[in-house]
Formats: sequence, C-alpha cells, structure tokens
Amino acid sequence: MSTLSLSSSHPSSPSPSSPSPSSPLSSSSCPSTFSMPMPASITPPGSPPSPTMSVDSIRGHNALRLDSPLELDQQRKTKVMIVDDNSINLSILSRMLEKHFTDIIQLTVVMTSGVEALQRLATEEFDLILMDIDMPVLTGVQTTVAIRQSTSEYPILKHNQSVPIIAVTTSDGAEQRELYQQVGMLDCVSKPIVLSKLRSAIEGAMKASR
Amino acid sequence: MAVELRDDSDNGSDFSRPGSPSPSSPTPSLSNTTSNRGQGIVDHTTFDQLLDMDLDDDDEFSRTLVHNYFEQAQRAFGDMDAAMSASDLLALSRLGHFLKGSSAQLGLLKVKASCEKLQYYGQRMDATGQHSSISNEEAEKQIRVLLIQMRREYDEAESYLRDFYGEQEQQQ
Repeated sequence: MSTLSLSSSHPSSPSPSSPSPSSPLSSSSCPSTFSMPMPASITPPGSPPSPTMSVDSIRGHNALRLDSPLELDQQRKTKVMIVDDNSINLSILSRMLEKHFTDIIQLTVVMTSGVEALQRLATEEFDLILMDIDMPVLTGVQTTVAIRQSTSEYPILKHNQSVPIIAVTTSDGAEQRELYQQVGMLDCVSKPIVLSKLRSAIEGAMKASR
Repeated sequence: MAVELRDDSDNGSDFSRPGSPSPSSPTPSLSNTTSNRGQGIVDHTTFDQLLDMDLDDDDEFSRTLVHNYFEQAQRAFGDMDAAMSASDLLALSRLGHFLKGSSAQLGLLKVKASCEKLQYYGQRMDATGQHSSISNEEAEKQIRVLLIQMRREYDEAESYLRDFYGEQEQQQ
C-alpha cells in the first residue's frame, strides 16, 4: 500500500517579505508541523484542504500493491520526498508518481517548504528528492546546499547528504540549470511536467545513485 | 463523466477517455464548442495528462484539482491587488511566479504567460525577462495593465474549465 505523509506550514500564500533567492542561506522561524490525521487538518499554502491530498484518496483504486518477496529482493523500491510550496503542484506530482511509478517508488512524502524538508531529512532517510526551486524562506537551491553541507543549523543524516535531487521548476533556463548542477542537483525537469521526461530523470537519478 | 476532447493541432495524442465516443464518431455539441474555445486557452497535451490521472469513470482528481486552482487563483489575485496598492513589486513578482507554476501545470497558456510577465515586471525586467532594468514607475504602469489582462484571461480559462466539467459559472 502506498502512504502519503504531509506536513504543512503557514502562511497561506507566498510571503512578500521573504528574502530574495540570491541571499545567503537564511535562518527562518520554524513553521508548525504536525502529523496527519487526514484530510481536514492540513492546509498547504495557497489552497484549502483537498481530497486529492488525503491518504484515503491515495489508497483508492491506484493503491500500490506489495511486491512479492522475490521482486522486492530483485529491486528495492524508492522512497521519495517532494518539496513544493504550491499545493496544486504537489497534488499533480504525487499523483503522477502514484499512478505511473509504482514499479520503482514505494513511498512518497510531500513537504511544503525547504525548512520542513531539512527537518525531515535530519531524522529519516530518503532515496530521491524532487525539489521545487522558487519557494519562500528557503529556495530549492538553498535547501539543496543545506542538504549537501549539513550545518549545525540544519543537520542532515549522512545517507541524505548525497541523496539524488531533481529540480522540478518553471525556472529552467540554461544559466539556472547550470546553477542547479553546481549546487549538487542531478537533473532538472521543467513544469508543466511531461511524464516521459520525469521518468527519464528519475531513472537516471536512480542509476547514478547505485 | 466521459467527455471527448479533440485537439485541432495534430500532435498524435490520443485524447479519447475510456468509454467516450471515438474521435471518428460525432461528438456532443458541448464538446465541440468546448474544444474549439479551448484553443489558445488550454494546452490539451498538458491538460489531458491530468485527465489521464483520473480513475476510469471518476473525474474527482482533476475536478478537485481544478477547483483548488480556482480558489488558489482568487487568493493570489487578492494578494496581487494588495501588493499593487502597497507598490510592493517583489511581492507581485513572487505572486506571479507562484501562480505561473500551477497555471502551467493545468495547461492554462495565457494565464501562465501573463504570470510570467508579472514575475519579470516585478523584478523590474522587461516582459521577456531580459536583464534590462525598467523604473519602478514603468514597472507599476505595466503591471497595472497586466493585472486587468490577467484577470480577463483567468476568467476565460475558468469559464472554459467549468464548461468542460459541465458546471455553471459562479457569480463573483
């Protein structure tokens, strides 16, 4: 069975007073996080609670089936974190993974900010991160730097410090792609996401990590 | 709900939903009208990818997503108006980028393009995002016009999507 874990932060829309993407890695007040009794208590920024974000909806017809022990031995499945401050994008990407990537992905966790992602990566191992770039407080680039560097402010589990990270963004120009590579991202998938390109990027990242 | 989508651009995609009439058979007039109006409003390649994520006879996922987008957009427009009143260009840029992402994911071409312009103007760049710097006054002037245009484009997209799902338009 697939499970979806969601943490949420406030405010409900992008903050006008957030530091610019070019500013140094900035500290931020820790948003409240809470585990999920789905769906009513979760309010990702920008949208009201959505049934599409609920565990129940994920566990519908497209629920992941457990592989046989033989298949599991042959191919360990992947635990993925999606980081995006826009709940529409989170819904689409998580649904896409659920529907089209059951062969390689076992579990998807969604985070609505870079800060929440770093907090989770301090305690739980992941195999792949799909990272939005333009987010308030900590951008995807800043979050990636923090993952790779594991500072005292944001300690990261050793396993996660080298986790493959794929940028998922509308900011996909040549200069920006070069920056993503420089900070340690493996690939960049443009929004709107094309399924074949997402698959190619994920499979490439998985191969690179083995 | 089974609705056939027809894309007038020949890109080889199969737009038929399970259970819907085949492309070669006559389609309901609503679908004809909807798909013709959709040209330039919705990129059907992108939108159909969303529809593909619905269950076979249940459009709950895409319908709910679209409704969430409507609510997100309304909040964003409210925030844009507030930022405009405060002459907060950076906030306008950030809001433009925020709405651009979800508009792009739904295939809303015009709204996405206008959001991108807002993103650039808010950073005092020109509409193409080149690094030429325009004055605050020029940026505000451009944004003022753009917000009216964007709202019109959004209303058009909302109308199209509500029509697609067979819903009455809500009074604003």
